[in-house]
Amino acid sequence: MLNAQTAAPGDVIPVLRESIPFVDASGALLQRVAALGRPRRYAAGERIYNAGDEADDIYVVVSGRVEHVFGPGISAQESLKRMGRGGVFGWAGLVLGQTRRFASATALEPSEILCIGTEDLVRALEVEPLEGGAVMDRFATMIQREFTMPALLAKVRRLSGTPLTEEMSTLSLTLYRMSLWLKSPRPYLMLIGFALFLGLWYLFVEVWKLPRFREMPGITTVVKEWLSPAPTYGLSVFTEEYYQHIAVSIWRVAQAFLLATLLGVPFGLFLGWSRRFKEYVFPVFELLRPIPVLAWVPLAIVMFIATESAVVFLAFLASFFATALNTMLGVESIDESYVRAANCLGASRWQVFRHVIVPGALPFVFTGLQISIGVSWFSLVAAEMVSGQYGLGYVINTSFMMVRYPTIVIGMVTLGVVGYATSAMVRIAGDYMMEWRVRELALAER
Amino acid sequence: MRKPLRSLLSSPVFWRGAVSIVAFVILWELGARSKQWMAPELFVPLKEMLGAMGFKKDYLPWIGVVPAPSTVLIAWIAVLGQGGYWQSWYMSLFRVMSGFVAAMLIGIPFGLLLAVSRTAQGIGFPVFEVLRPIPPLAWVPASIIFWPTQELAISFVTFLGAFYTIVINVLGGARSIDLHYFQAAQSMGSSQWDIFRRVILPGTLPSIVVGSAVGMGITWEVVVAAEMISGGGSQQSGAGGGLGFFIWSSYVGGSYEQIVVGMISIGIAGFASSELLRWLGRYVTPWLRVR
Repeated sequence: MLNAQTAAPGDVIPVLRESIPFVDASGALLQRVAALGRPRRYAAGERIYNAGDEADDIYVVVSGRVEHVFGPGISAQESLKRMGRGGVFGWAGLVLGQTRRFASATALEPSEILCIGTEDLVRALEVEPLEGGAVMDRFATMIQREFTMPALLAKVRRLSGTPLTEEMSTLSLTLYRMSLWLKSPRPYLMLIGFALFLGLWYLFVEVWKLPRFREMPGITTVVKEWLSPAPTYGLSVFTEEYYQHIAVSIWRVAQAFLLATLLGVPFGLFLGWSRRFKEYVFPVFELLRPIPVLAWVPLAIVMFIATESAVVFLAFLASFFATALNTMLGVESIDESYVRAANCLGASRWQVFRHVIVPGALPFVFTGLQISIGVSWFSLVAAEMVSGQYGLGYVINTSFMMVRYPTIVIGMVTLGVVGYATSAMVRIAGDYMMEWRVRELALAER
Repeated sequence: MRKPLRSLLSSPVFWRGAVSIVAFVILWELGARSKQWMAPELFVPLKEMLGAMGFKKDYLPWIGVVPAPSTVLIAWIAVLGQGGYWQSWYMSLFRVMSGFVAAMLIGIPFGLLLAVSRTAQGIGFPVFEVLRPIPPLAWVPASIIFWPTQELAISFVTFLGAFYTIVINVLGGARSIDLHYFQAAQSMGSSQWDIFRRVILPGTLPSIVVGSAVGMGITWEVVVAAEMISGGGSQQSGAGGGLGFFIWSSYVGGSYEQIVVGMISIGIAGFASSELLRWLGRYVTPWLRVR
């Protein structure tokens, strides 16, 4: 740092206007920010700050060039960035929960740089909370897009006194993401994909009537039937029966899934936790596991007098294996040193189980639960097709027997939608319970 | 050869496993024969309790109707000499293989295409994701309508079972390749084909192996049910066959021992084919071998 001299705020305002966060800022705000600035000069090759330093100032390049290099362990896509006039760096202090520098910055040529105290800036922005919030949002955008930080880390602090509620800010965030998404080619490619799929279905079956396709239900028939208040084959969104079938299937899966979770998670935890238990029990488990769940169908019908419990049993069996196995793998994936550390600190066996084993296995447990809900639908359908009354699998099979072909497709699509919705629910619950894990993955460059 | 055997026999882990399996079989036998040993006067209170709980009085609930392992073994030995049993093995195996090979042949290039081209992914992936939650077995009736023969219909459903898993694994594997490899290859002047051949393909190979082993398991699941639904459901003669149909016809014919024989046979077949694939996988990805 050569010398600190006072520059007229008037010289600084044009530079701020060129910088991303302040592009849209009003004159009054720029005046206020400019007044906070302390110009400094750096010689070529002079280090401005290092990664890990206290993040007390934000810097704006007035002239010259600066190189910005992320420290190790920061998962930015590009770790090196060079910037000239209008470049803003040293923003780590604005990032949520961050007080240290992410990166190091070096002047490449003799440079004139404006320093603004992070806390001073935040206070200045809080005077006009709405406009200040917009500036903070632009900071977040810049951190994500210019500095290629993952979206998860590019979260800036909330200004105190902002009238924006949590919902408002997430709403604007989703709107922003939507606009980004709409600007990318993805939605249009997706439309092309669906148009191709549905169009070919329509053309093959109903227009060209290609051999083999001719017998299939066409898309217009299916949609008409599905949305018709008086369906030809008796099943549409307006009939009560349709919802009965859906409810029955969901209820069966829910029973099977809950039972499998209640039994499978503790069972898997014990398998992973106690070696003796595993040595005695796991061989039997492994002996039964290769038998496909669907091969159990007739035996289940014989074992359970009521078909209802046979169907639930089959869905349960599939879920149980997936849950127990993944939970066990989860316990085994825990770093041995955690257990040792807990033991050294005098944890009892129960405390180790409660505070190390259970949370450590949680990520795998949730992977297991996602698989489990998928396979329980998978085997439920088979069980319902073979035996049972009501349920979506039953709809598909009876519609086939009674030559109500459009209803088969209605059943399939409904099954897909309902199955997807339930696994999405499990996934969301998992992400919600393991926010620490999601953040950790983002930090570890995964 | 003698040494591993001796170390196996002297390891307590092996013996604990053996004990538990033997205990399992004995419990199964006892449970299955509960109708016989529950006959004496002594068990009347137990019977009354079962009756009060809403179960059948004469035997233990659930396990009491399952055929005992000894009778299963006898039935199995009887069946071993029959051509029909081995014909079932052959037919199921054939269907699994045809579906599986088709899934590999179509799924791997499709997954790689999605991974390599952003446009292809934009067009193809959403449709794929929309179709994926529909369980393969829900396709059985549609497949029977569409395909001219039952044989092709079953193979198609088994194909679907493996296809989704293989594509997802290939795509995930290709995405997890370290970006630096591409940068390094490009900066050393690799062509697109070189990058595909030397970076993408070996990088996704482990996921392809995992995906196919998992897909193979699903294929066996699916083939059993497809055979039951199509063979068990329709009256067409000549259709069906296969181990799933073997189980179903044993059920219809009331020979419960044979149901269990069929279940165990499928377990063996599925396990053996997955293991074979894993072994092949270790062979083609030698760099992953743990030393």
